[in-house]
Amino acid sequence: MAPITKPSEAELERRKIVGINKETVTDVTSTDFPGHYPGEDNSWDINTFANGFHVLFHQNEQFEASFSLVGIDASLANAFRRILISEIPTLAIETVYIENNTSVIQDEVLAHRLGLIPFKGGKEGLLDFLKWYRKPGPGEDPYSTTFDFNTVSLDLNVECTRNPAADPETESDPAKLYHHANVYAKDIVFTPAGRQSQYFEGENAIAPVNPDILIAKLRPGQEIRLSMHMHKGVGSDHAKFSPVATASYRLMPVITITKPILGQDAEKFARCFPQGVIAVETVTREDAARDSAYEGHVGEKKAVVKDPMRDTVSRECLRHKEFEGKVKLGRRRDHFIFAIESTGQWDSDELFLESVKTLKLKCKRLEKQVVNMVR
Amino acid sequence: MIIPVRCFSCGKVTGDLWERYLRMIEDEGMQEGDAMDRLGLKRYCCRRMVMTHVDLIEKLLKYTPDGRNEKKIEIQQRKDGPQA
Repeated sequence: MAPITKPSEAELERRKIVGINKETVTDVTSTDFPGHYPGEDNSWDINTFANGFHVLFHQNEQFEASFSLVGIDASLANAFRRILISEIPTLAIETVYIENNTSVIQDEVLAHRLGLIPFKGGKEGLLDFLKWYRKPGPGEDPYSTTFDFNTVSLDLNVECTRNPAADPETESDPAKLYHHANVYAKDIVFTPAGRQSQYFEGENAIAPVNPDILIAKLRPGQEIRLSMHMHKGVGSDHAKFSPVATASYRLMPVITITKPILGQDAEKFARCFPQGVIAVETVTREDAARDSAYEGHVGEKKAVVKDPMRDTVSRECLRHKEFEGKVKLGRRRDHFIFAIESTGQWDSDELFLESVKTLKLKCKRLEKQVVNMVR
Repeated sequence: MIIPVRCFSCGKVTGDLWERYLRMIEDEGMQEGDAMDRLGLKRYCCRRMVMTHVDLIEKLLKYTPDGRNEKKIEIQQRKDGPQA
C-alpha cells in the first residue's frame, strides 16, 4: 500500500476556495472525503473536526442574529437552515370559529389573516407545558382531544359604532369618526383555561408580538365576533408555524489582490465593491522592502482588502480591463455566515440551539434504526 | 385589498407597517425609499409588499349596511309620505 501523504497547508487552503470568475464558478463541491485524493487519508475524525470548527457571533439581538460557522460541511449547515425554517414548533392560530362576520373581509380571508399573526408567551409554558395537539378521528367527538395543555383559546369581539363626540361634517378620519374602525391584533383577548393561568400570567400572557397588525377595517353596523383555537405546529405543515422570517446563510467571500493596484486604479477598485470592503492606503517603505512589486511606488496609493465579509460578490471588478490578472475572487466553502430573523415567539440565538438539538435527535433516531437493521 | 399580514416570500410581518408608512409619506413628506428603510424593510421582497400595495378596502368600505339601511328608511318614508 502506498504511504499516506499529507498535503501542504497552502494546498489545503486552496481546496477550500470556490473560484469565482468572470462568467464561471469553479470547484463547487467539497473534496475532503476518503478516496478523492489518492494516498491521502481524508476519513472523518471527531478531533480534526473539533479543532477546525468554531462559531463567531457578529450580531445577537433578540430577534435578529448573525453568526459564522467555520469548518463545517454544507450538508450540515443546510440541515440547520432547513430545520430552522420548517421543523421548529411554534404556537399559532389553527381553528377559527366565526359567530358573526359582517365586515367586508370574507370569513376564509379573515381566518387566514388571523393565522399569520405571530404570538408570544411565557417560555416555560410554550416549551414545556404545551404539547402537540392530535386531531380527533372521524366519528370521534370534535373536542375529545382538546385540553388545556394543547389548545390556547382566544377571542375577538369588535363592533364598529359611531363616535358621537366627532362631527361628521368636519372630521374625515374614520379612526376618529367611529369606534373600532380598525381592528388590530391587540384587540384579541386571551382567556387562560385550566392550568394555563399558572404559565401564562401577567407578562407571560399569550399576546401578539406586533400589537398593531391591521386585521380588518369596519364601518358602523359591521361587527366581527369569533373565537380561535391555537395549536402547536411546524413550518413544513404551514408557513405560519415557521419561527423565522428568514434563516439563510452565505459563504464568506475571499478577495485576493495578486498584483498591486496603485494610484487612480486603487480608487476605482474600491468603488467596484460595497463600502468598507476595500481600503485605499499609501505604499510604505516596509511594503516596498517586503514586496518587489511595490518598489519605486513609495507614497502612492494602493488598494488593500479590509473587510471581505461585507462584499456581495457582484464581480464588478472583473469587468474592468485594468484589474485583469490582478485580483482573484472566491468564496470559502466551509465558512457559513448565518442570518436568523425570528418572528417573535423564540429568540434568534435560542432558535439555532434548538435546530442543533433537533438534528441531534434525528441522528439518534436514525442510529437506532440502523442498529435494528443490522441485528 | 388590505395590507397582507406577512411578506409573501420571507414571512416578515408587514401588517403593522402600512399605517406608519402612510403617516411617514403623507404627514412627514418622506421619500418612499427612506420610509421603507425606517420601517426596517431591508429585503426587496418585504419592500414590494408595502411599496406596491393598493388599499382597495377603502373603496369597499363605502358600501356599508349602515348606509343602506338609512337609504331604505328614506325611500320607505318617501313612499309612505303621500299616503299618510
